[in-house]
Amino acid sequence: MALVQRPCTRLGFLFPRLNLRAFSKTESLKEDDIKKSVFISQSNDIYTNLALEEWLFKNFNFKQHHLLLLCQNNPSVVIGKHQNPWSETNFSDANNLERKGVKLARRSSGGGASYHDKGSLSMSFFSPRERHNSRYNMEIVARSVFREFGCEISVNPEEELVLRHNKPISSKAAKLGRDNSYYNLSLMIRTNKVNRNMALQKQDFALNTKARVLPTTSKVMNLCEETPEISVAAAMKAIGWEFLRTKALTIKDGGMELAFKQKGFHLINPTDKWFPGLNEIRNTYASWEWCFGQTPQFKIVRSFTVPVDLLHGNSGSSATLNITISVENGLISDITVFVPYGFKSFGFTGEAKVIHNLKGKRFSLQAFEELESSLDCLLDEKDKFVTECVKQVMSCA
Amino acid sequence: MVVVPRAFSSLSRRFLQNCQILNKKSGLRSVHTTLRLCTERLFTEKHEWVQVDGKIGTVGISHYAQEALGDVVYAQLPEVGTEIQQKDECGALESVKAASEIYSPVSGKVVEKNVAVEESPSLINTSCYEKGWLFKLELSNESELQELMNETKYKEYLKTQEDH
Repeated sequence: MALVQRPCTRLGFLFPRLNLRAFSKTESLKEDDIKKSVFISQSNDIYTNLALEEWLFKNFNFKQHHLLLLCQNNPSVVIGKHQNPWSETNFSDANNLERKGVKLARRSSGGGASYHDKGSLSMSFFSPRERHNSRYNMEIVARSVFREFGCEISVNPEEELVLRHNKPISSKAAKLGRDNSYYNLSLMIRTNKVNRNMALQKQDFALNTKARVLPTTSKVMNLCEETPEISVAAAMKAIGWEFLRTKALTIKDGGMELAFKQKGFHLINPTDKWFPGLNEIRNTYASWEWCFGQTPQFKIVRSFTVPVDLLHGNSGSSATLNITISVENGLISDITVFVPYGFKSFGFTGEAKVIHNLKGKRFSLQAFEELESSLDCLLDEKDKFVTECVKQVMSCA
Repeated sequence: MVVVPRAFSSLSRRFLQNCQILNKKSGLRSVHTTLRLCTERLFTEKHEWVQVDGKIGTVGISHYAQEALGDVVYAQLPEVGTEIQQKDECGALESVKAASEIYSPVSGKVVEKNVAVEESPSLINTSCYEKGWLFKLELSNESELQELMNETKYKEYLKTQEDH
Protein backbone atom coordinates (compact mmCIF):
# COMPACT_ATOMS: atom_id res chain seq x y z
CA MET A 1 0.00 0.00 0.00
CA ALA A 2 2.97 2.31 0.50
CA LEU A 3 3.42 2.61 -3.23
CA VAL A 4 -0.21 3.32 -3.67
CA GLN A 5 -0.14 6.26 -1.32
CA ARG A 6 2.87 7.87 -2.93
CA PRO A 7 1.38 10.72 -4.95
CA CYS A 8 -1.64 10.85 -2.73
CA THR A 9 -2.85 14.44 -2.76
CA ARG A 10 -6.13 15.57 -1.28
CA LEU A 11 -8.93 15.48 -3.81
CA GLY A 12 -9.83 19.10 -3.17
CA PHE A 13 -6.76 20.27 -5.06
CA LEU A 14 -7.95 18.63 -8.22
CA PHE A 15 -11.19 20.51 -8.67
CA PRO A 16 -10.07 24.09 -9.29
CA ARG A 17 -7.60 22.92 -11.91
CA LEU A 18 -10.26 20.81 -13.56
CA ASN A 19 -12.80 23.59 -13.69
CA LEU A 20 -10.36 25.96 -15.35
CA ARG A 21 -9.64 23.38 -17.97
CA ALA A 22 -13.28 22.76 -18.66
CA PHE A 23 -13.65 26.33 -19.88
CA SER A 24 -10.95 26.18 -22.50
CA LYS A 25 -12.82 24.75 -25.43
CA THR A 26 -10.00 23.33 -27.48
CA GLU A 27 -11.61 20.26 -28.95
CA SER A 28 -8.55 18.97 -30.73
CA LEU A 29 -7.18 17.12 -27.74
CA LYS A 30 -3.83 15.48 -27.86
CA GLU A 31 -3.63 12.10 -26.27
CA ASP A 32 -0.86 13.24 -23.97
CA ASP A 33 -2.98 16.09 -22.62
CA ILE A 34 -5.37 13.64 -21.04
CA LYS A 35 -4.30 12.85 -17.50
CA LYS A 36 -5.33 9.85 -15.48
CA SER A 37 -6.11 9.17 -11.85
CA VAL A 38 -6.85 6.09 -9.82
CA PHE A 39 -9.34 6.59 -6.98
CA ILE A 40 -9.50 3.97 -4.26
CA SER A 41 -12.64 4.14 -2.17
CA GLN A 42 -12.11 3.70 1.56
CA SER A 43 -15.67 2.50 2.05
CA ASN A 44 -16.82 -1.10 1.83
CA ASP A 45 -20.49 -0.20 1.81
CA ILE A 46 -22.03 -1.08 -1.54
CA TYR A 47 -24.58 1.75 -1.41
CA THR A 48 -21.91 4.35 -0.63
CA ASN A 49 -19.72 3.13 -3.45
CA LEU A 50 -22.62 3.15 -5.93
CA ALA A 51 -23.43 6.68 -4.75
CA LEU A 52 -19.82 7.75 -5.24
CA GLU A 53 -19.89 6.34 -8.76
CA GLU A 54 -23.12 8.22 -9.50
CA TRP A 55 -21.72 11.42 -7.97
CA LEU A 56 -18.62 11.31 -10.17
CA PHE A 57 -20.73 10.45 -13.22
CA LYS A 58 -23.01 13.43 -12.64
CA ASN A 59 -20.49 16.04 -11.49
CA PHE A 60 -17.05 15.29 -12.89
CA ASN A 61 -15.64 16.45 -16.20
CA PHE A 62 -13.67 13.64 -17.82
CA LYS A 63 -12.64 15.50 -20.99
CA GLN A 64 -9.02 15.83 -19.90
CA HIS A 65 -8.99 13.51 -16.99
CA HIS A 66 -9.80 9.81 -17.18
CA LEU A 67 -10.58 8.08 -13.97
CA LEU A 68 -10.50 4.57 -12.57
CA LEU A 69 -12.44 3.99 -9.36
CA LEU A 70 -11.55 0.88 -7.36
CA CYS A 71 -13.77 -0.48 -4.58
CA GLN A 72 -13.99 -3.51 -2.38
CA ASN A 73 -17.47 -4.25 -1.07
CA ASN A 74 -19.02 -6.19 1.79
CA PRO A 75 -21.09 -9.18 0.64
CA SER A 76 -23.79 -7.92 -1.70
CA VAL A 77 -25.82 -8.87 -4.73
CA VAL A 78 -25.95 -6.11 -7.31
CA ILE A 79 -28.55 -6.26 -10.06
CA GLY A 80 -28.70 -4.26 -13.30
CA LYS A 81 -30.85 -1.16 -13.56
CA HIS A 82 -33.74 -2.87 -15.31
CA GLN A 83 -33.71 -6.24 -13.61
CA ASN A 84 -36.14 -8.04 -11.35
CA PRO A 85 -34.62 -8.90 -7.95
CA TRP A 86 -37.33 -11.47 -7.19
CA SER A 87 -36.51 -13.61 -10.20
CA GLU A 88 -32.82 -12.86 -10.84
CA THR A 89 -31.54 -13.39 -7.32
CA ASN A 90 -32.17 -15.65 -4.39
CA PHE A 91 -33.12 -12.62 -2.37
CA SER A 92 -36.59 -13.73 -1.41
CA ASP A 93 -37.96 -13.46 2.12
CA ALA A 94 -37.64 -17.20 2.57
CA ASN A 95 -33.93 -17.39 1.92
CA ASN A 96 -32.63 -15.16 4.66
CA LEU A 97 -29.76 -13.79 2.62
CA GLU A 98 -30.33 -10.54 4.40
CA ARG A 99 -29.94 -12.19 7.78
CA LYS A 100 -26.56 -13.50 6.65
CA GLY A 101 -25.55 -9.91 6.05
CA VAL A 102 -25.76 -9.97 2.25
CA LYS A 103 -27.13 -6.69 0.87
CA LEU A 104 -29.23 -6.29 -2.24
CA ALA A 105 -28.45 -3.29 -4.42
CA ARG A 106 -29.51 -1.99 -7.82
CA ARG A 107 -26.89 -0.14 -9.82
CA SER A 108 -27.54 2.51 -12.47
CA SER A 109 -25.71 0.68 -15.23
CA GLY A 110 -27.15 -2.17 -17.27
CA GLY A 111 -26.24 -5.81 -17.38
CA GLY A 112 -26.99 -8.76 -15.16
CA ALA A 113 -26.79 -9.65 -11.49
CA SER A 114 -23.37 -9.95 -9.90
CA TYR A 115 -22.10 -10.96 -6.47
CA HIS A 116 -19.50 -8.94 -4.59
CA ASP A 117 -17.57 -9.58 -1.42
CA LYS A 118 -14.18 -8.66 0.04
CA GLY A 119 -12.59 -11.15 -2.33
CA SER A 120 -13.74 -9.32 -5.44
CA LEU A 121 -12.60 -6.05 -6.93
CA SER A 122 -15.05 -3.56 -8.43
CA MET A 123 -13.69 -1.22 -11.07
CA SER A 124 -15.38 1.72 -12.74
CA PHE A 125 -13.60 3.24 -15.75
CA PHE A 126 -14.87 6.79 -16.31
CA SER A 127 -14.46 8.61 -19.61
CA PRO A 128 -16.37 11.00 -21.87
CA ARG A 129 -19.14 9.15 -23.68
CA GLU A 130 -17.50 9.32 -27.09
CA ARG A 131 -14.36 7.68 -25.70
CA HIS A 132 -16.18 4.83 -23.99
CA ASN A 133 -14.16 1.75 -24.87
CA SER A 134 -14.88 -1.58 -23.21
CA ARG A 135 -12.07 -3.41 -25.02
CA TYR A 136 -9.51 -0.93 -23.77
CA ASN A 137 -10.63 -1.38 -20.18
CA MET A 138 -10.57 -5.17 -20.35
CA GLU A 139 -7.16 -5.09 -21.95
CA ILE A 140 -5.81 -3.00 -19.03
CA VAL A 141 -6.96 -5.65 -16.57
CA ALA A 142 -5.63 -8.54 -18.64
CA ARG A 143 -2.24 -6.85 -19.14
CA SER A 144 -1.84 -5.91 -15.50
CA VAL A 145 -2.50 -9.43 -14.27
CA PHE A 146 -0.05 -10.81 -16.81
CA ARG A 147 2.63 -8.24 -16.00
CA GLU A 148 2.38 -8.61 -12.23
CA PHE A 149 1.40 -12.25 -11.74
CA GLY A 150 2.35 -13.88 -15.03
CA CYS A 151 -1.14 -15.19 -15.39
CA GLU A 152 -2.81 -15.16 -18.77
CA ILE A 153 -6.35 -13.84 -19.08
CA SER A 154 -8.11 -13.61 -22.40
CA VAL A 155 -11.24 -11.84 -23.63
CA ASN A 156 -13.87 -14.15 -25.10
CA PRO A 157 -16.32 -13.20 -27.90
CA GLU A 158 -18.98 -12.28 -25.31
CA GLU A 159 -16.51 -9.70 -23.99
CA GLU A 160 -15.86 -11.47 -20.73
CA LEU A 161 -12.50 -11.93 -19.11
CA VAL A 162 -11.78 -15.63 -18.99
CA LEU A 163 -9.16 -17.90 -17.47
CA ARG A 164 -8.03 -21.04 -19.28
CA HIS A 165 -9.92 -19.75 -22.33
CA ASN A 166 -13.43 -20.45 -21.07
CA LYS A 167 -13.83 -19.86 -17.34
CA PRO A 168 -15.26 -16.38 -16.68
CA ILE A 169 -13.68 -14.40 -13.85
CA SER A 170 -15.52 -11.12 -14.29
CA SER A 171 -18.86 -9.47 -14.82
CA LYS A 172 -19.41 -6.20 -16.62
CA ALA A 173 -21.90 -3.41 -17.14
CA ALA A 174 -21.91 0.05 -18.65
CA LYS A 175 -23.71 3.35 -18.40
CA LEU A 176 -23.83 6.05 -21.05
CA GLY A 177 -24.96 9.57 -20.20
CA ARG A 178 -25.06 12.75 -22.23
CA ASP A 179 -21.40 13.64 -21.78
CA ASN A 180 -20.04 11.06 -19.40
CA SER A 181 -19.90 7.30 -19.31
CA TYR A 182 -18.52 4.56 -17.18
CA TYR A 183 -17.75 0.91 -17.51
CA ASN A 184 -18.11 -1.47 -14.55
CA LEU A 185 -15.95 -4.50 -14.28
CA SER A 186 -16.02 -6.81 -11.30
CA LEU A 187 -13.12 -9.21 -10.97
CA MET A 188 -13.33 -12.41 -8.94
CA ILE A 189 -10.08 -12.77 -7.05
CA ARG A 190 -10.96 -14.63 -3.87
CA THR A 191 -14.75 -14.54 -3.93
CA ASN A 192 -16.72 -17.10 -1.94
CA LYS A 193 -18.09 -19.09 -4.87
CA VAL A 194 -20.62 -21.06 -2.82
CA ASN A 195 -22.20 -17.88 -1.51
CA ARG A 196 -22.08 -16.38 -4.96
CA ASN A 197 -23.89 -19.27 -6.57
CA MET A 198 -26.48 -19.37 -3.80
CA ALA A 199 -27.17 -15.65 -4.06
CA LEU A 200 -27.44 -15.62 -7.84
CA GLN A 201 -29.73 -18.65 -7.97
CA LYS A 202 -32.53 -17.83 -10.38
CA GLN A 203 -36.06 -18.32 -9.14
CA ASP A 204 -38.05 -20.84 -11.05
CA PHE A 205 -41.51 -19.43 -11.47
CA ALA A 206 -43.57 -18.49 -14.49
CA LEU A 207 -42.91 -14.82 -14.90
CA ASN A 208 -44.30 -12.45 -17.43
CA THR A 209 -41.95 -9.51 -17.55
CA LYS A 210 -40.18 -6.95 -19.68
CA ALA A 211 -37.28 -6.84 -17.25
CA ARG A 212 -33.91 -8.05 -18.42
CA VAL A 213 -33.39 -11.72 -17.87
CA LEU A 214 -29.76 -12.67 -18.27
CA PRO A 215 -28.09 -16.00 -17.83
CA THR A 216 -25.70 -16.19 -14.89
CA THR A 217 -23.12 -18.84 -15.37
CA SER A 218 -22.04 -20.93 -12.42
CA LYS A 219 -18.83 -22.11 -14.06
CA VAL A 220 -16.80 -19.20 -12.81
CA MET A 221 -13.26 -19.16 -11.48
CA ASN A 222 -11.36 -17.10 -8.99
CA LEU A 223 -8.05 -15.61 -10.05
CA CYS A 224 -6.42 -17.10 -6.95
CA GLU A 225 -7.04 -20.58 -8.30
CA GLU A 226 -4.47 -19.82 -11.00
CA THR A 227 -2.17 -17.50 -9.05
CA PRO A 228 -2.41 -18.35 -5.34
CA GLU A 229 -0.26 -15.38 -4.28
CA ILE A 230 -2.76 -12.80 -5.55
CA SER A 231 -4.73 -10.63 -3.15
CA VAL A 232 -7.30 -7.90 -3.80
CA ALA A 233 -4.87 -5.23 -2.59
CA ALA A 234 -2.14 -6.52 -4.91
CA ALA A 235 -4.56 -6.60 -7.82
CA MET A 236 -5.64 -3.00 -7.08
CA LYS A 237 -2.03 -1.89 -7.21
CA ALA A 238 -1.27 -3.80 -10.40
CA ILE A 239 -4.38 -2.63 -12.26
CA GLY A 240 -3.95 0.94 -11.03
CA TRP A 241 -0.36 1.17 -12.29
CA GLU A 242 -1.25 -0.47 -15.58
CA PHE A 243 -4.04 2.10 -16.06
CA LEU A 244 -1.60 4.95 -15.39
CA ARG A 245 1.16 3.66 -17.68
CA THR A 246 -1.15 3.09 -20.64
CA LYS A 247 -1.91 5.90 -23.10
CA ALA A 248 -5.34 7.48 -22.74
CA LEU A 249 -6.86 6.68 -26.13
CA THR A 250 -4.83 3.83 -27.52
CA ILE A 251 -3.83 0.68 -25.75
CA LYS A 252 -0.10 1.45 -25.87
CA ASP A 253 2.27 1.07 -22.99
CA GLY A 254 4.03 4.28 -21.98
CA GLY A 255 6.08 2.61 -19.27
CA MET A 256 6.63 3.98 -15.77
CA GLU A 257 7.77 7.23 -17.35
CA LEU A 258 4.21 7.90 -18.47
CA ALA A 259 2.78 6.58 -15.22
CA PHE A 260 4.70 9.18 -13.21
CA LYS A 261 3.34 11.99 -15.39
CA GLN A 262 -0.20 11.12 -14.36
CA LYS A 263 -2.10 12.32 -11.34
CA GLY A 264 -1.52 9.06 -9.50
CA PHE A 265 -3.42 7.23 -6.81
CA HIS A 266 -5.87 8.89 -4.44
CA LEU A 267 -7.42 7.35 -1.39
CA ILE A 268 -11.00 8.57 -1.38
CA ASN A 269 -13.15 9.00 1.66
CA PRO A 270 -16.70 8.99 0.31
CA THR A 271 -18.39 11.38 2.72
CA ASP A 272 -20.70 14.34 2.32
CA LYS A 273 -17.78 16.62 3.19
CA TRP A 274 -15.75 15.57 0.17
CA PHE A 275 -18.72 15.02 -2.12
CA PRO A 276 -21.63 17.32 -1.24
CA GLY A 277 -24.95 15.52 -1.61
CA LEU A 278 -23.41 12.05 -1.46
CA ASN A 279 -25.47 10.92 1.55
CA GLU A 280 -28.71 11.68 -0.19
CA ILE A 281 -27.69 9.61 -3.21
CA ARG A 282 -26.60 6.82 -0.90
CA ASN A 283 -29.98 6.79 0.85
CA THR A 284 -31.75 6.53 -2.48
CA TYR A 285 -29.59 3.56 -3.46
CA ALA A 286 -30.31 1.85 -0.13
CA SER A 287 -34.06 2.41 -0.29
CA TRP A 288 -36.68 -0.25 -0.96
CA GLU A 289 -38.22 2.08 -3.56
CA TRP A 290 -35.03 1.92 -5.64
CA CYS A 291 -33.88 -1.68 -5.07
CA PHE A 292 -37.30 -3.32 -5.42
CA GLY A 293 -39.65 -0.53 -6.50
CA GLN A 294 -37.72 0.19 -9.71
CA THR A 295 -38.49 -3.27 -11.06
CA PRO A 296 -40.17 -3.16 -14.46
CA GLN A 297 -43.79 -4.29 -14.33
CA PHE A 298 -44.27 -8.05 -14.12
CA LYS A 299 -46.85 -10.78 -13.55
CA ILE A 300 -46.59 -14.06 -11.72
CA VAL A 301 -48.95 -16.86 -12.76
CA ARG A 302 -49.46 -20.09 -10.83
CA SER A 303 -51.95 -22.95 -10.95
CA PHE A 304 -53.19 -25.12 -8.07
CA THR A 305 -55.25 -28.29 -8.04
CA VAL A 306 -58.32 -27.93 -5.86
CA PRO A 307 -58.92 -30.82 -3.40
CA VAL A 308 -61.96 -32.88 -4.35
CA ASP A 309 -63.88 -32.34 -1.09
CA LEU A 310 -63.90 -28.59 -1.64
CA LEU A 311 -65.70 -28.96 -4.95
CA HIS A 312 -69.46 -28.85 -5.07
CA GLY A 313 -71.17 -31.31 -7.39
CA ASN A 314 -67.85 -32.66 -8.52
CA SER A 315 -68.11 -34.02 -12.03
CA GLY A 316 -65.00 -36.09 -11.60
CA SER A 317 -62.74 -33.92 -13.68
CA SER A 318 -59.81 -32.27 -11.97
CA ALA A 319 -60.21 -28.64 -11.19
CA THR A 320 -57.48 -26.04 -11.15
CA LEU A 321 -57.36 -22.65 -9.59
CA ASN A 322 -55.21 -20.07 -11.37
CA ILE A 323 -53.80 -17.05 -9.63
CA THR A 324 -52.15 -14.12 -11.40
CA ILE A 325 -50.48 -11.38 -9.41
CA SER A 326 -49.45 -8.20 -11.23
CA VAL A 327 -46.73 -6.07 -9.69
CA GLU A 328 -46.01 -2.48 -10.64
CA ASN A 329 -43.27 -0.43 -8.97
CA GLY A 330 -42.84 -3.33 -6.54
CA LEU A 331 -46.44 -2.94 -5.35
CA ILE A 332 -49.26 -5.38 -6.02
CA SER A 333 -51.44 -3.75 -8.64
CA ASP A 334 -53.82 -6.60 -9.37
CA ILE A 335 -54.68 -10.16 -8.36
CA THR A 336 -56.84 -12.32 -10.57
CA VAL A 337 -58.20 -15.66 -9.43
CA PHE A 338 -59.75 -18.07 -11.91
CA VAL A 339 -61.86 -20.53 -9.98
CA PRO A 340 -63.22 -23.85 -11.23
CA TYR A 341 -66.99 -24.17 -11.64
CA GLY A 342 -67.89 -26.33 -8.64
CA PHE A 343 -65.88 -24.15 -6.34
CA LYS A 344 -67.60 -21.02 -7.39
CA SER A 345 -71.19 -22.04 -6.67
CA PHE A 346 -70.65 -21.65 -2.94
CA GLY A 347 -69.62 -18.06 -3.30
CA PHE A 348 -66.89 -16.75 -1.09
CA THR A 349 -66.33 -13.56 0.73
CA GLY A 350 -63.00 -13.98 2.45
CA GLU A 351 -61.07 -14.47 -0.74
CA ALA A 352 -62.30 -11.21 -2.17
CA LYS A 353 -61.17 -9.57 1.05
CA VAL A 354 -57.68 -11.03 0.77
CA ILE A 355 -57.36 -9.76 -2.76
CA HIS A 356 -58.80 -6.36 -2.05
CA ASN A 357 -56.57 -5.74 0.94
CA LEU A 358 -53.39 -6.80 -0.82
CA LYS A 359 -53.67 -4.27 -3.62
CA GLY A 360 -51.19 -1.47 -3.27
CA LYS A 361 -49.12 -3.44 -0.73
CA ARG A 362 -45.48 -4.28 -1.29
CA PHE A 363 -44.93 -7.57 -3.06
CA SER A 364 -43.52 -9.41 -0.05
CA LEU A 365 -44.50 -12.39 2.03
CA GLN A 366 -44.37 -10.26 5.15
CA ALA A 367 -47.18 -8.02 3.93
CA PHE A 368 -49.22 -11.09 3.19
CA GLU A 369 -48.61 -12.76 6.53
CA GLU A 370 -49.71 -9.67 8.41
CA LEU A 371 -52.91 -9.65 6.47
CA GLU A 372 -53.47 -13.35 6.85
CA SER A 373 -53.26 -13.27 10.63
CA SER A 374 -55.83 -10.51 10.78
CA LEU A 375 -58.21 -12.46 8.57
CA ASP A 376 -57.70 -15.88 10.03
CA CYS A 377 -60.89 -16.15 12.09
CA LEU A 378 -63.10 -14.91 9.26
CA LEU A 379 -62.28 -17.62 6.78
CA ASP A 380 -63.92 -20.96 6.10
CA GLU A 381 -62.18 -23.98 4.61
CA LYS A 382 -62.56 -22.89 1.03
CA ASP A 383 -61.39 -19.38 1.64
CA LYS A 384 -58.43 -20.79 3.50
CA PHE A 385 -57.53 -22.84 0.47
CA VAL A 386 -57.59 -19.78 -1.78
CA THR A 387 -55.64 -17.80 0.79
CA GLU A 388 -53.06 -20.57 0.98
CA CYS A 389 -52.74 -20.55 -2.80
CA VAL A 390 -52.25 -16.80 -2.88
CA LYS A 391 -49.64 -17.22 -0.17
CA GLN A 392 -47.81 -19.78 -2.27
CA VAL A 393 -47.59 -17.30 -5.10
CA MET A 394 -46.45 -14.59 -2.73
CA SER A 395 -43.72 -16.80 -1.37
CA CYS A 396 -41.85 -16.04 -4.60
CA ALA A 397 -41.34 -12.66 -3.01
CA MET B 1 -15.92 -11.54 -39.40
CA VAL B 2 -14.52 -8.21 -40.59
CA VAL B 3 -16.23 -8.52 -43.95
CA VAL B 4 -19.74 -8.42 -42.53
CA PRO B 5 -19.65 -4.97 -40.89
CA ARG B 6 -17.84 -3.63 -43.92
CA ALA B 7 -20.58 -4.91 -46.18
CA PHE B 8 -23.11 -3.29 -43.89
CA SER B 9 -21.36 0.04 -43.85
CA SER B 10 -21.06 0.13 -47.62
CA LEU B 11 -24.75 -0.75 -47.88
CA SER B 12 -25.74 1.93 -45.42
CA ARG B 13 -23.54 4.46 -47.18
CA ARG B 14 -25.29 3.71 -50.43
CA PHE B 15 -28.62 4.05 -48.63
CA LEU B 16 -27.61 7.41 -47.23
CA GLN B 17 -26.56 8.64 -50.65
CA ASN B 18 -29.96 7.69 -52.02
CA CYS B 19 -31.56 9.61 -49.19
CA GLN B 20 -29.52 12.65 -50.05
CA ILE B 21 -30.67 12.51 -53.65
CA LEU B 22 -34.25 12.25 -52.47
CA ASN B 23 -33.70 15.17 -50.13
CA LYS B 24 -32.35 17.31 -52.89
CA LYS B 25 -35.41 16.55 -55.00
CA SER B 26 -37.83 17.29 -52.20
CA GLY B 27 -35.84 20.41 -51.36
CA LEU B 28 -36.46 21.71 -54.87
CA ARG B 29 -40.13 21.01 -54.56
CA SER B 30 -40.53 22.73 -51.23
CA VAL B 31 -39.31 26.01 -52.69
CA HIS B 32 -42.64 26.32 -54.43
CA THR B 33 -44.67 25.56 -51.33
CA THR B 34 -44.56 27.33 -48.00
CA LEU B 35 -41.32 27.15 -46.07
CA ARG B 36 -42.14 25.28 -42.90
CA LEU B 37 -40.15 23.29 -40.43
CA CYS B 38 -42.83 20.66 -40.64
CA THR B 39 -41.86 17.10 -41.63
CA GLU B 40 -38.15 17.83 -41.70
CA ARG B 41 -36.26 15.69 -39.26
CA LEU B 42 -33.90 17.69 -37.05
CA PHE B 43 -30.92 16.29 -35.19
CA THR B 44 -28.89 17.11 -32.09
CA GLU B 45 -25.17 16.62 -31.65
CA LYS B 46 -26.00 13.81 -29.26
CA HIS B 47 -27.78 11.89 -32.01
CA GLU B 48 -31.41 12.41 -31.05
CA TRP B 49 -33.92 13.48 -33.71
CA VAL B 50 -37.18 15.38 -33.56
CA GLN B 51 -39.77 15.75 -36.28
CA VAL B 52 -42.26 18.55 -35.77
CA ASP B 53 -45.81 18.59 -37.06
CA GLY B 54 -47.71 21.63 -35.86
CA LYS B 55 -46.95 21.87 -32.17
CA ILE B 56 -46.27 18.17 -31.71
CA GLY B 57 -42.72 16.87 -31.95
CA THR B 58 -41.86 13.19 -32.35
CA VAL B 59 -38.57 12.16 -30.76
CA GLY B 60 -36.25 9.25 -31.48
CA ILE B 61 -32.59 8.32 -31.77
CA SER B 62 -30.61 8.41 -35.01
CA HIS B 63 -29.37 5.52 -37.09
CA TYR B 64 -25.85 6.25 -35.91
CA ALA B 65 -26.95 6.13 -32.27
CA GLN B 66 -28.82 2.85 -32.53
CA GLU B 67 -25.88 1.30 -34.33
CA ALA B 68 -23.48 2.44 -31.62
CA LEU B 69 -25.78 1.14 -28.92
CA GLY B 70 -26.28 -2.34 -30.38
CA ASP B 71 -29.38 -4.47 -29.87
CA VAL B 72 -31.78 -2.59 -27.61
CA VAL B 73 -33.38 -4.96 -25.12
CA TYR B 74 -35.28 -2.62 -22.80
CA ALA B 75 -36.86 0.80 -23.19
CA GLN B 76 -37.97 2.98 -20.32
CA LEU B 77 -39.92 5.93 -21.75
CA PRO B 78 -41.28 9.08 -20.08
CA GLU B 79 -44.88 8.91 -18.86
CA VAL B 80 -47.58 10.92 -20.61
CA GLY B 81 -48.05 14.29 -18.90
CA THR B 82 -44.39 14.67 -17.86
CA GLU B 83 -42.98 18.15 -18.41
CA ILE B 84 -39.44 17.95 -19.71
CA GLN B 85 -36.80 20.55 -20.41
CA GLN B 86 -34.44 20.45 -23.35
CA LYS B 87 -31.44 18.20 -22.61
CA ASP B 88 -33.21 16.69 -19.60
CA GLU B 89 -32.78 13.01 -18.89
CA CYS B 90 -36.21 11.51 -19.55
CA GLY B 91 -35.78 7.75 -19.85
CA ALA B 92 -33.33 5.00 -20.62
CA LEU B 93 -32.50 2.46 -23.28
CA GLU B 94 -30.66 -0.67 -22.35
CA SER B 95 -28.77 -2.55 -25.00
CA VAL B 96 -26.62 -5.63 -24.85
CA LYS B 97 -23.70 -3.28 -24.29
CA ALA B 98 -24.88 -0.57 -21.91
CA ALA B 99 -27.68 1.33 -20.23
CA SER B 100 -27.97 4.64 -22.02
CA GLU B 101 -29.94 7.65 -20.87
CA ILE B 102 -32.46 9.32 -23.18
CA TYR B 103 -32.32 13.11 -23.47
CA SER B 104 -34.99 15.26 -25.00
CA PRO B 105 -33.87 17.46 -27.92
CA VAL B 106 -36.63 19.99 -27.11
CA SER B 107 -38.70 21.16 -24.12
CA GLY B 108 -42.36 20.29 -23.78
CA LYS B 109 -45.03 18.11 -22.28
CA VAL B 110 -45.16 14.42 -23.19
CA VAL B 111 -48.43 13.61 -24.97
CA GLU B 112 -47.72 10.06 -26.08
CA LYS B 113 -45.10 7.35 -25.63
CA ASN B 114 -44.48 4.56 -28.09
CA VAL B 115 -45.98 1.52 -26.37
CA ALA B 116 -44.89 -0.69 -29.28
CA VAL B 117 -41.26 0.12 -28.51
CA GLU B 118 -41.77 -0.75 -24.85
CA GLU B 119 -43.17 -4.10 -25.96
CA SER B 120 -40.49 -4.82 -28.54
CA PRO B 121 -37.47 -2.55 -28.07
CA SER B 122 -35.77 -4.02 -31.15
CA LEU B 123 -37.95 -1.68 -33.25
CA ILE B 124 -35.39 1.00 -32.37
CA ASN B 125 -32.75 -1.00 -34.25
CA THR B 126 -34.88 -2.06 -37.18
CA SER B 127 -36.76 1.17 -37.76
CA CYS B 128 -35.27 4.05 -35.81
CA TYR B 129 -36.99 6.78 -37.89
CA GLU B 130 -40.41 5.16 -38.39
CA LYS B 131 -41.75 2.54 -35.99
CA GLY B 132 -38.97 3.06 -33.47
CA TRP B 133 -39.86 6.59 -32.34
CA LEU B 134 -39.79 7.02 -28.57
CA PHE B 135 -42.26 9.70 -27.50
CA LYS B 136 -44.24 12.70 -28.72
CA LEU B 137 -44.35 16.01 -26.95
CA GLU B 138 -46.13 19.31 -27.22
CA LEU B 139 -43.37 21.87 -27.78
CA SER B 140 -43.17 24.68 -25.26
CA ASN B 141 -40.36 26.60 -26.94
CA GLU B 142 -40.20 26.35 -30.72
CA SER B 143 -37.12 28.57 -30.92
CA GLU B 144 -35.11 25.60 -29.64
CA LEU B 145 -35.54 24.02 -33.06
CA GLN B 146 -33.22 26.59 -34.60
CA GLU B 147 -30.25 25.16 -32.71
CA LEU B 148 -30.78 21.74 -34.28
CA MET B 149 -29.25 20.40 -37.49
CA ASN B 150 -31.14 19.27 -40.56
CA GLU B 151 -30.30 15.94 -42.12
CA THR B 152 -27.62 17.27 -44.46
CA LYS B 153 -25.86 19.18 -41.71
CA TYR B 154 -26.12 16.21 -39.40
CA LYS B 155 -24.43 13.99 -41.94
CA GLU B 156 -21.60 16.49 -42.28
CA TYR B 157 -21.36 16.55 -38.50
CA LEU B 158 -21.13 12.74 -38.43
CA LYS B 159 -18.23 12.90 -40.88
CA THR B 160 -16.29 15.25 -38.62
CA GLN B 161 -16.95 12.88 -35.73
CA GLU B 162 -15.51 9.97 -37.70
CA ASP B 163 -12.33 11.91 -38.39
CA HIS B 164 -11.52 12.06 -34.68
